[in-house]
Amino acid sequence: MQSVCETYFESRLEFLLRTQNSDGGWGYFPGRLSWLEPTVYAMLALQGRSDAQRSLARAWPLVDSLQLSDGSWRPSPQVKTGTWVTSLALLLCLLRNPSDVRCRKAVHWLVRVAGAESSLAMRMASFCHLLASDVNVEFKAWPWMAGNSSWIEPTAHALMALKRVAHHPGGDVASRIREGEAMLLSRRDRDGGWNAGNPRIYKVDLPGYPETTALAMLALQGVSIPGGLVDQARLWLRDSKSSLASAWLIIALRCYGADEPQPTGPAPSSDVLLAALQALGHPRGNHRVFRPGSPA
Amino acid sequence: MTRRGFISAAGLIASASYLEQRKRKVDPPTGPPGNSAVTILRAQSYSEDLGARIYEGLRTSGLDVRGKRVLLKPNLVEFDSATVINTDAAVLAGALEAFERMGAAEVRIGEGPGHRRDTFDLATEAQYSTRVPRFLDRFVDLNRDDVSAVRGFANEAEFYFPNTALAADLIVSVAKMKTHHWAGVTLSMKNLFGLVPGAVYGWPKNKLHYIGIQDSIVALNRQFRNTFAIVDGIVGMEGNGPIQGTPKHAGVLVMGQDLIAVDATCCRIMGVNPLHVEYLTMAASLGHVGVDRIEQRGETVETVKTPWQMSPGFLG
Repeated sequence: MQSVCETYFESRLEFLLRTQNSDGGWGYFPGRLSWLEPTVYAMLALQGRSDAQRSLARAWPLVDSLQLSDGSWRPSPQVKTGTWVTSLALLLCLLRNPSDVRCRKAVHWLVRVAGAESSLAMRMASFCHLLASDVNVEFKAWPWMAGNSSWIEPTAHALMALKRVAHHPGGDVASRIREGEAMLLSRRDRDGGWNAGNPRIYKVDLPGYPETTALAMLALQGVSIPGGLVDQARLWLRDSKSSLASAWLIIALRCYGADEPQPTGPAPSSDVLLAALQALGHPRGNHRVFRPGSPA
Repeated sequence: MTRRGFISAAGLIASASYLEQRKRKVDPPTGPPGNSAVTILRAQSYSEDLGARIYEGLRTSGLDVRGKRVLLKPNLVEFDSATVINTDAAVLAGALEAFERMGAAEVRIGEGPGHRRDTFDLATEAQYSTRVPRFLDRFVDLNRDDVSAVRGFANEAEFYFPNTALAADLIVSVAKMKTHHWAGVTLSMKNLFGLVPGAVYGWPKNKLHYIGIQDSIVALNRQFRNTFAIVDGIVGMEGNGPIQGTPKHAGVLVMGQDLIAVDATCCRIMGVNPLHVEYLTMAASLGHVGVDRIEQRGETVETVKTPWQMSPGFLG
């Protein structure tokens, strides 16, 4: 008889297998059109499962089809523009075959894309104290879409992917990683967490969010953080009202070597992304994909 | 003189000149032909029968929704049920009841919060899932809905919107009456930011900031003309809104088919000159701002207005 813990894990994987679309991808919810984000996380969660090989083989053509000639990935077949999801697809592809030309093109795109706040005009505006937000605009980090400002989540995903190719020749990757880490550290909130990316507006300190704090933790693995993160993350997890945030915090804590009690409960009835993250965070899940240099 | 001192002095001079220009009398924009009806109803607390009040307001507003697919779009922002950030569950439940009573073929609820990704748990925290009948059956996370492209939105070649919003016969902006640190106020028009899908544009929807907040508000209201507004001003937010402010009791629900007129009326209730709210003057061709073009039904502004503390940086 399966333990409750195993039931939690197996039910989520079974849910993912059952909700795959005919085009090979996964929608955010069962029966909806395929999007790259839930597809990537579903594939990461199912990697290594003998009963998932056919599902994974069906999914790859969709993933491949969403990469553009500039190396970026589109978030869905309905959207023509490449966005931050490029980092997710790159992480997935690096686990499959780091030498794949798709990976090289994506790395090239990520190295070239930077938040608009690091442009000369914005740096001058910041120098003249003309910006309402007093974020440090020196560091190049990553936006949700090219041409927009940098934020914590897309920066975290870019760092998690690029750290797997930190040895990339040319030095550009290494310098972008350093700047991305510096950006994250500069945007830390007074409460020790991270929100979307504005620690203060009009001189008012803003609180952190548990989900973006978890993502920042994952991106900053290997970096010495004043005050530490693990104990704080445990407090965030205890107080979290968000299932999504809890899933990310558990993944982050496992990557930091913390032995977290495994949540129990039925499989989410409709949220593919959440089911995949919860499966990834299980002790037997593939959370190690978020540790730089670790295989799936 | 230090760099900071020079810049501060220059800024003071520029601000003084700008304020002087703002104080000059500005003729209200003329707007489209005809007048717009805006209904103000008193509602002192969320424990009143808001379904009946909103139904009364819809009838007073002259709205006909028989056979229509209606999308209620509340303002859902943060996990904080102790404050007044979100549209109250009682108002949302009351709107649902009223629209069903008015003969809508279908009433769905949709929202795409701008900062937090966990929309369903946000709705649970705001008590929507417990206080709004069959909430999970009706609710769509607009951030993660399937999307389609529209052309020409805010001069963009293509812009993506949730299919649920594009398919609705009527979108009801069930907004919260709040101040806003960038826009001055956030009411029924700015509430349409939640129609922009985060799965494409991120959290926050920074693309809108680069288009320009004021321009984006206007563009969204130009894109979605099949709208109605219900503004929850029973307890709103003043001060450093839309998140860090404090509760402000105004005791009103404000409704109408012309969202520009509704927002202009809300501004007057809040003691704000609507002509000092940039997006309202920019939206002049879409609706009515001037009192001479707004037919006030129910209560008058004078009987319900109360001064609000505005957000730092708002010069209105």
